[in-house]
Amino acid sequence: MIVPLNHILLLSAVLFSLGMFCTLARRNLIMMLLGVEIMLNAAAVAFIGASLHWQQMEGQAVVIFILAIAATEVSIGLAAIIAIYKRSGSVDPDLQTTLRKVEGNPS
Amino acid sequence: MGTLTSYPPSLIAAAAALVMPLLAFGVIIVGTRSRHGLSAVLSISASGFSTVMAISLLVKHWHMTAPLTYQTTWMASGIMAIPIGIQLDPLSLLMFTVVAVICLLVQLYSLGYMAGDPGFGRYYGFMSLFAWAMLTLTLSSSLLQLYIFWELVGLASYLLIGFWFEKFSASEAGKKAFVMTRTGDVAFLLGIVLLWLQLGTLDIPLLNHPEMVSRQLSPGMITLTALLIFGGIAGKSAQFPLLTWLPDAMEGPTPVSALLHSATMVAAGVYLFARLFGFFSLSPTAMGVCLAIGTISMLIASTMAMVARDIKQVWAYSTISQLGFMLMGLGAGSLFAGVFHLTTHAGFKALLFLCAGVFIHHHGTNDMFEIGRQGGRKRKTAVAGLLVGAGALSGLPPLAGFFSKELILGHLLDSGHWLAFLAAVVGAFLTTYYSFRLIFIILFPKGEQIPVSNPHHSEPHPARGERAMAFVLWGLIGVTLVLGFFQNPLQAFVTRFVSGADHATHHLWLAVAACILATAAIVQAWFEFGHKKARQIGWVERIPFLTDLFGQRWYLDRLYRYLLDTVIYRGVSKLFTANDRHVIDGAVDGLGRSTIDLGRLVSRLHTTMIQYRLMVMFAVVILLIHYIGWGF
Repeated sequence: MIVPLNHILLLSAVLFSLGMFCTLARRNLIMMLLGVEIMLNAAAVAFIGASLHWQQMEGQAVVIFILAIAATEVSIGLAAIIAIYKRSGSVDPDLQTTLRKVEGNPS
Repeated sequence: MGTLTSYPPSLIAAAAALVMPLLAFGVIIVGTRSRHGLSAVLSISASGFSTVMAISLLVKHWHMTAPLTYQTTWMASGIMAIPIGIQLDPLSLLMFTVVAVICLLVQLYSLGYMAGDPGFGRYYGFMSLFAWAMLTLTLSSSLLQLYIFWELVGLASYLLIGFWFEKFSASEAGKKAFVMTRTGDVAFLLGIVLLWLQLGTLDIPLLNHPEMVSRQLSPGMITLTALLIFGGIAGKSAQFPLLTWLPDAMEGPTPVSALLHSATMVAAGVYLFARLFGFFSLSPTAMGVCLAIGTISMLIASTMAMVARDIKQVWAYSTISQLGFMLMGLGAGSLFAGVFHLTTHAGFKALLFLCAGVFIHHHGTNDMFEIGRQGGRKRKTAVAGLLVGAGALSGLPPLAGFFSKELILGHLLDSGHWLAFLAAVVGAFLTTYYSFRLIFIILFPKGEQIPVSNPHHSEPHPARGERAMAFVLWGLIGVTLVLGFFQNPLQAFVTRFVSGADHATHHLWLAVAACILATAAIVQAWFEFGHKKARQIGWVERIPFLTDLFGQRWYLDRLYRYLLDTVIYRGVSKLFTANDRHVIDGAVDGLGRSTIDLGRLVSRLHTTMIQYRLMVMFAVVILLIHYIGWGF
């Protein structure tokens, strides 16, 4: 392996931080979902690097697993976002108070 | 796996003969279904090829010294390997030839009979499917392979019975045939599974090996297995109590009835019995059951035929009765008697059906009284075929049926089954009576003549098709006339590898008595139906009770309907409905309801500001990692 493990872990950490920032800072549910995806991919990169470093196949198997889970997560997440948008006309996470209002107990 | 040249030529010939109809089926169904002429040419040339191969194989192996078996593994799973193969021995070669020849003749005949039908191409596709399945069935080397093709033959039968599916009764008849034969096949499959579990092999030559089987199976187990397999035979060959599907199967086109429901497919049951004859012989109980079922079916079916007005129904009942007769021969312990009757029956019954087809084609009705009044006797070829076929069916010399019937009667007598012998004599009398009842009704119609009322008749028939039909009829008449004289060479051929080959003692008095009996039946039929002053009402029809009983098929259909209504619909099916409604639906609904309730509960925890809380979560996790990693 030409690239040292540390570099890969660094890349993974940077990606993870970017994703985290995106999830925390953006005022848009879709961008939050994107942030989550990026964090997932950061974890996948770390797995691949570890798998190459120790010459074990399990890491790659886990990555394929992550891909599958990411795909389902996106599909369900987008569906939920569309449903939310149809209900409230916005994708701003802070405006979503429907659940509280249904219970008749505004925050 | 060697190269092609390392296989013996017989194998290649047999395999090619099997594959050609399959190819024809595929090509017709996928590509040429809408092009009628091309489909017919494909199908007939495939069948013609199979016939040529079959006859040349029969001639080549006429003096064979040992049965030839070629096997290869189809699929293997763990220790289990499923072989497929081709078995060439006298029995399979004979049946192979019979099937191939009748297939070819019927397909040629269909050129005329089916001309102008919108489903012409589809018809030939299904015919090829049937030819492939039936030919492979006859040459199967293992019981599982035989079973697979047994079911495929059933599928072809279903498709062809329901060929005119726009007619409600036809599609119903197809379903009935499918379900009833399948009932028997469940038993057959159980028998196969039992054999597999006990013996670990399904090779037909091994199963017929008496020492090998009786060493590994207890007598009770042999009987049980044999009876289960016999269930399949009873279903396929329409024996009591699974016989009522065959008369209904006459809804299909007449050539189909001739090919599937008289000459070859229903004979597959009898063929299976002959195939496993060595195995069945090990269980006297199974042989006894076979004899009993054969006798019952033969008698019941011939009584039904005495009151039928539909010309095809008469021959359908007669087929059931003759198949029962074959099983009686086999059950009495004579392999050759059953097989020989199967061979001759295939010829003359196909002939009878095809003649009936000519009448139906021209007069547009199945009712024999109407055919007679419309002048059915003017169809010279068909009348000739009818006379020859009915003569053979009645066992008149020198037609083919005379030899095979007399052989079975002789065996019943020799093996000491007096009751079965007497039943067979009564059955033979009834057979002759109903055959000639039909002939006299068609030849000597009473009442005023009515014009031909066939709607198709006005359109000009393609003369070529008519010629094909006549040609086939003459061919079958020829076969019926000469086949009987090949009894001795055929007997030597078929029984060559059978241990303790049966040699019938020839009873001259029996032959004479059978002829006298048949003549008596003809005379009775003449006085009731043929004579100038005859009122064309049989003695059965003067007794209302018997007319009812026979006309309603001994109330078998009613009984099945009743059982179906009470046991299946009101018992089992009701239970399942309740289960479906309360248990399954209830569980699914409960899952949905509980999810909603849980959601209500969880929603109380929601306080908005999702991103702040996410940030806190991240911060906590990072601090935790710090704490674990560096310890502060």
